[in-house]
Amino acid sequence: MPTKVAIIGVGHTAFRATSPGLSYKELMFEAATRAYEDAGLDARSEIDSFLTCSEDLAEGTSIFDEYVPDQIGGAERPVYTVSGDTIQGLATAYMQIASGIVDVVSVEAHSKASNVVTPGELHAFALDPIFVRPLGFNAHAMAGLEASAYLATTSTTREQCAHVVAKNRRNALANPSAAHAAAIDPQDVLSSPPAFAPLTELEVSAPADGALVIVLASEERAKKLKRQPVWLRGIGWSTGSGITSGTDGSSADYARSAAEMAYRMAGIGDPRQGIDFAEVDDSYSYKEPQHLEALGLFGPGRAGAATADGATARDGDLPVNVSGGSLGVGQLFEASGGQKVAEVVAQLRGEAGPRQLKKAKTGLAQSWRGIPTATGAVVVLSRD
Amino acid sequence: MGSSEQIDRVTDLRAWPGEFPVSHLYTMGIAGERFFRELKDNGRFLGSRCAACDHVYLPPSIFCPRCFAALDEWKEVGPQGTVRAVTTAHRGVDGTTLKTPETLALIQLDGADDLLTHRIKESEGLEIGARVAPVLKETPEREGSILDVRYFRAV
Repeated sequence: MPTKVAIIGVGHTAFRATSPGLSYKELMFEAATRAYEDAGLDARSEIDSFLTCSEDLAEGTSIFDEYVPDQIGGAERPVYTVSGDTIQGLATAYMQIASGIVDVVSVEAHSKASNVVTPGELHAFALDPIFVRPLGFNAHAMAGLEASAYLATTSTTREQCAHVVAKNRRNALANPSAAHAAAIDPQDVLSSPPAFAPLTELEVSAPADGALVIVLASEERAKKLKRQPVWLRGIGWSTGSGITSGTDGSSADYARSAAEMAYRMAGIGDPRQGIDFAEVDDSYSYKEPQHLEALGLFGPGRAGAATADGATARDGDLPVNVSGGSLGVGQLFEASGGQKVAEVVAQLRGEAGPRQLKKAKTGLAQSWRGIPTATGAVVVLSRD
Repeated sequence: MGSSEQIDRVTDLRAWPGEFPVSHLYTMGIAGERFFRELKDNGRFLGSRCAACDHVYLPPSIFCPRCFAALDEWKEVGPQGTVRAVTTAHRGVDGTTLKTPETLALIQLDGADDLLTHRIKESEGLEIGARVAPVLKETPEREGSILDVRYFRAV
């Protein structure tokens, strides 16, 4: 049996399109204060280790590790950054606890996307410098390529992708922390200006600012705390060759292999039986059905039609991105997966307010590190 | 809130501008040298083949990600190929709307198993499955870069 580790505290700021009144350190301080209050722990004496998930280029500061300890309570304590998504940070925290060297770990991630004056250049810098970047395209064009291949391979339609956007933007209406809630219909999505065909403007998630902190603890420690623990039952991560080295990106193989690792650890044979609801990466419209299929929650090419039929709606058979997802909440750099984990925890605790699901015993959160990566992570969380 | 104080006047908000003036060189390496010299000197595309996996890599590589073997078998591929993915970008790198949208494709050159990313021109309504051929710069203009291929167009 894998070592039991629990999430015992979550705190985050609201996610907003801009945050001109607070520095990134102040956003982090707010999220950490909320998380430690939620966990009932003292920041300076009851947390053994601290992790932040960030990429230097997105921060605009090299060796960003040096700028993170103070505002999360980690000065003169074990701290380092993971240059990956929050769920990769959770995996690192899990390993630290399972190894027995620490009992309580704080994992932080944030986005101060509104401080990036030239986001197009930032994303273009991720493209292959010899073979792709010289062509001079916006990096979102790589998602346009993936989308075209996914639609052609699976017979998923643009209308079905438009349903994903309308669902998630509407779901966000019930999430006071969401930056991009809107009452829109699939037709609004299809008739929005073309961006990276087949993707329209509304099929590309917009950035948002915010910070979040998730606190994990060993089983022994978790059982002594006031909060009902949410158990981390399975976690997995994977990186494929992807669109940067010669595939068409039509199947999200990184999500499939990350999920296999997480399901194996959680002892889940049929994910559709074992998972009640999911928060999956929806950085672009087509990514949600593509990821649902890679996660084994729908058969190949089935998720688009199921979405249009309402199967993934809040009252559907398998609610997906009830929080609003990245399309509704906002694209949060390395905090994108963390926002999904925060929603799964809120649902499992029965604290999701107007968007609370009736059946929420086991939930899944999945992240993707965005264009042009083939990196994904999956975590399965459960009430018991 | 983490803090009990907040700025409540927009006119009090300040930010400091900063830039990142860092330049790099990207080494082509053994496989990159081969690929770009062949393109520059002879206008041909060179892939590398893993016999064990029966896979032709393009761009070429001196190692096989599938079986981790060292590769030393070079194979000419293309120049024609088949479009496997296609997008039309209506926005440039800086996010502003382009006056003339530009088309980008993933192209499987004949004989290669991997896909090459390049721009498409003079090919109205091009779809996945279309056959394309490269339009190269003239020999004296070629400098050993992916831009030695001006674009691909439908044939």
